[in-house]
Amino acid sequence: MGLKVPYVTSYLTEHFADDALGTIEGYEAKGGYAAARKVLRESTPESVIETMKASGLQGRGGAGFVTGLKWSFMPKGTEKPKYFCVNADESEPGSFKDRLLLERAPHKMLEGILIGAFAIGAEKTFIYIRGEYAYPAKQVQRAIDEAYAKGYLGRNVFGTGFSHDVVLHRGAGAYICGEETGLLESLEGRKGQPRKKPPFPAEYGAFGMPTTVNNVETFCHVPHILANGPDWFRGFGTEKSPGTTIFGVSGHVARPGLYELPLGTRLDEIIFEHAGGVPGGRKVKGVIPGGMSMPILPAGQLDVPMANEFLRERKTMLGTGGVMVMDETTCMVRASSIISYFFRDESCGQCTQCREGTGWIHKIVSRIERGSGSVDDLDLLLDICGKMEGQTICAFADAAAWPIQGMLRHFREDFELHLKHQKCPFPESFEL
Amino acid sequence: MPQITVDGEVIEVAAGRTILQALDDAGLLMNGVDVPHYCWHPKLTIDGSCRLCQVEVEGIPKLQIACNTPVKDGMVVHTKTDRVKRAREGVMELLLINHPLDCPICDQAGECKLQDYAYEYGVTHARTKEPRRAAKKRVDLGPTIVFDQERCILCRRCVRFCREIPQTGELAVFHRGDRSVIETFPGAELDNPYSMNVADICPVGALTTKDFRFKIRVWFLNDVPGVCTGCANGCNVHLGVATNKVYRYLPRRNDAVNDTWICDAGRMTYKEIGAESRLQRAYVRGPGGLQESGYKAALEHAASRLRALLDAKGPGVIAALASPHATNEDLLQLRRFLDAAGVQNAGVAVPIGPADELLIKAEKAANATGARALGFADAAGVVDRIRGGGVEALIALGHDVLDPAYLGGEAALAGLDTVIVLDTHRSELERVAHVLLPVRVAAEKHGTLTNHAGRVQRVRPAVEPAFEAYADGEVLAKLGARLGLAGFDGKWDVRAVSRALGRECPAFVGVDVESVGDEGRSLATVVAGATTGASV
Repeated sequence: MGLKVPYVTSYLTEHFADDALGTIEGYEAKGGYAAARKVLRESTPESVIETMKASGLQGRGGAGFVTGLKWSFMPKGTEKPKYFCVNADESEPGSFKDRLLLERAPHKMLEGILIGAFAIGAEKTFIYIRGEYAYPAKQVQRAIDEAYAKGYLGRNVFGTGFSHDVVLHRGAGAYICGEETGLLESLEGRKGQPRKKPPFPAEYGAFGMPTTVNNVETFCHVPHILANGPDWFRGFGTEKSPGTTIFGVSGHVARPGLYELPLGTRLDEIIFEHAGGVPGGRKVKGVIPGGMSMPILPAGQLDVPMANEFLRERKTMLGTGGVMVMDETTCMVRASSIISYFFRDESCGQCTQCREGTGWIHKIVSRIERGSGSVDDLDLLLDICGKMEGQTICAFADAAAWPIQGMLRHFREDFELHLKHQKCPFPESFEL
Repeated sequence: MPQITVDGEVIEVAAGRTILQALDDAGLLMNGVDVPHYCWHPKLTIDGSCRLCQVEVEGIPKLQIACNTPVKDGMVVHTKTDRVKRAREGVMELLLINHPLDCPICDQAGECKLQDYAYEYGVTHARTKEPRRAAKKRVDLGPTIVFDQERCILCRRCVRFCREIPQTGELAVFHRGDRSVIETFPGAELDNPYSMNVADICPVGALTTKDFRFKIRVWFLNDVPGVCTGCANGCNVHLGVATNKVYRYLPRRNDAVNDTWICDAGRMTYKEIGAESRLQRAYVRGPGGLQESGYKAALEHAASRLRALLDAKGPGVIAALASPHATNEDLLQLRRFLDAAGVQNAGVAVPIGPADELLIKAEKAANATGARALGFADAAGVVDRIRGGGVEALIALGHDVLDPAYLGGEAALAGLDTVIVLDTHRSELERVAHVLLPVRVAAEKHGTLTNHAGRVQRVRPAVEPAFEAYADGEVLAKLGARLGLAGFDGKWDVRAVSRALGRECPAFVGVDVESVGDEGRSLATVVAGATTGASV
């Protein structure tokens, strides 16, 4: 079972090919838990946070917030128990990197959790894993059991007096539970709906306690950073976006799969050198660089380095690093219709703009796709997107608006052809 | 205290409040500073989902929702900028794309926040080409409420109300996105002692009460401020009046009494005002039983019977019962009447019923506390004396003495020489009364009522009775004059009597019908009454 190993590996996915890190023995044989043991025995929470800040590691869940900074927001000197949450609700279409880490290196994540928990003073971690990840959940639970058996979790970890518990919680299946406060609501047994902020999770998180939520991959970088130091980590990637990440490449490519590459690797290098380019001699039409909520890039802009500081210049973002390649046969209106259907379906429905806007966008785009669009529909779409953006409890409405804005920015011609011919002019485009 | 500036005006605010709360505290919200809002309600937790209350806060790039943004000293807020205007237009347009726009047949029309805000802040034309969402119509949510899912804008006030106020939690949002609907949980219905408040807080026509819907267009109603007389809590209400008829009570906000709520039982007591069971004519007992009488003749008859008894046996054989439903002014007049006549044997019978922790009080009368403050002790003493045969005449204001806790029926009064009844409604006292005199209910007169906590609150005439009836105090003024009691000239000036309350009863110093305003004011001292009853 499980995914194919990554085609390109670095420190994060090293030894994945022979599944050498799957068990606690295997993981320790390759040096696993040494960093956590050293940190818990010899370091202080302050110095761990300083190291994390110095490394510049950005969260790998999509928003790219600096992890060390996030950890430093946790209140100090509070009587309340503090919690960690692992966001393993990987649900962004085009994104499947965390699954590999959960299956092949659950102990790496646990070691990262231990180090982080020591740094922020958390007494418990909740791993919120998406319900569909049955096999990864099994692997993680086995790893947790192994760690408890060895005394690496529970009371008095490594004989240091530090105690930490880890609980695995399987989600019940909604995209919005990957939003950190939607995750907390769902974890507590309620409907997955993001919470208004303030209060922020660091103040009022899981079960009302100070909580930090980090992505699976983010935790997996932590033992490497503590073992090798921030300078070593900054040897990968760009100055502003250090480290590697796991790009998940899907769509019209010869070798869809996972590729661990430094941040800043050019998008065309990922597609053509690593993923083997588009099969059948066809050309690329557009690429979504970071999971479905990120705006698309046209074929002419694939020379961009995959790091937020460069992607932002092209009005898109790295997101979760899920690269979705679409070739020249693709109808971008159909793609937009599918994207807008997803966001309509997954909106939690709390905020007016998101609840009503996602539905309206999908109705308009699918009507254009069916050949019943009218000339004012395109400006109307952009206007609705503008009314959704930046005005809601969470970033879901932005995530629903951005891809449509991207499509109209780069592929307005596809929409106009639909309006002109009153039918889809791309007979070879993919069907669902 | 922190200060914030809103549209150039400096406002002192309490720390820890949000912008909208601070505006509400200052009495400025929608009353000087217009920040339209749907999901926010002053007495419910903050939801932050309708997004209509977005404002510009200097130093923060994105618009912020005023309902959930904590105030900070020196914060500068703008509510009238183009960005704010555009954001409001956006929210209004999106709220309306699936709304049925069925105002002509919607009962909320005229008091609908969707209408008001669409007019004030919305755009004038629809850009939708798609059909509107179809959903359930006329959903029977329970004994009191009907729900129209299509009109619902999902502000979720009703959901939060049921969870937070009666804490019954019958309602929830089911499904998600634009398929979201509010429903009761399977097999459950919306049924709690406060259920009808959801119709009040529903900003649109989605939730309506079975009682009021389709009875009258709201623009025909005049709102008269008043007090619910269902129990001793004295919840503040608006009486909705048209064509001399009260169509409904709506809770009137008073944070010291009832916040913005009222119980269902109290809300329904408006029906007693125009009820068929009102005592609508004066009656005098003749040889063939009770006979309709002119009011003056009935007063004469009552006076002559009482005079005969006073002359023959003195005031010691007369007892009186104060009504816990009458106003303080009425009861002060009764006190004067009894003092002038020398009657010492008096008390007040207070009906008792279920109570809860929220609003519903055990004493099912609006002014029992006022009666006690005016020196009327519990009627147990009067009852004992009646049973012991020491009473030959009874002057009864109201019929609460028939309650099982007191006489338990009229039989014990059958042998009395004279029974004079001043009452708003008919009762078994008719079987023993020698004179029956119709009097006005609180909604038909000026005066004050003292709630369980000693808060004196004003009532005023919202309707005129369709028959001859006077305030209890006025009847006593006329009766006293006919008896030739000292100080009684038959005139009734309720304001003068109200002003005399503080002079003649020290607990009332500083409180009278004019000075208490519409919010009420507390008595100096309070005599507590029954606080326990079976729970609701």
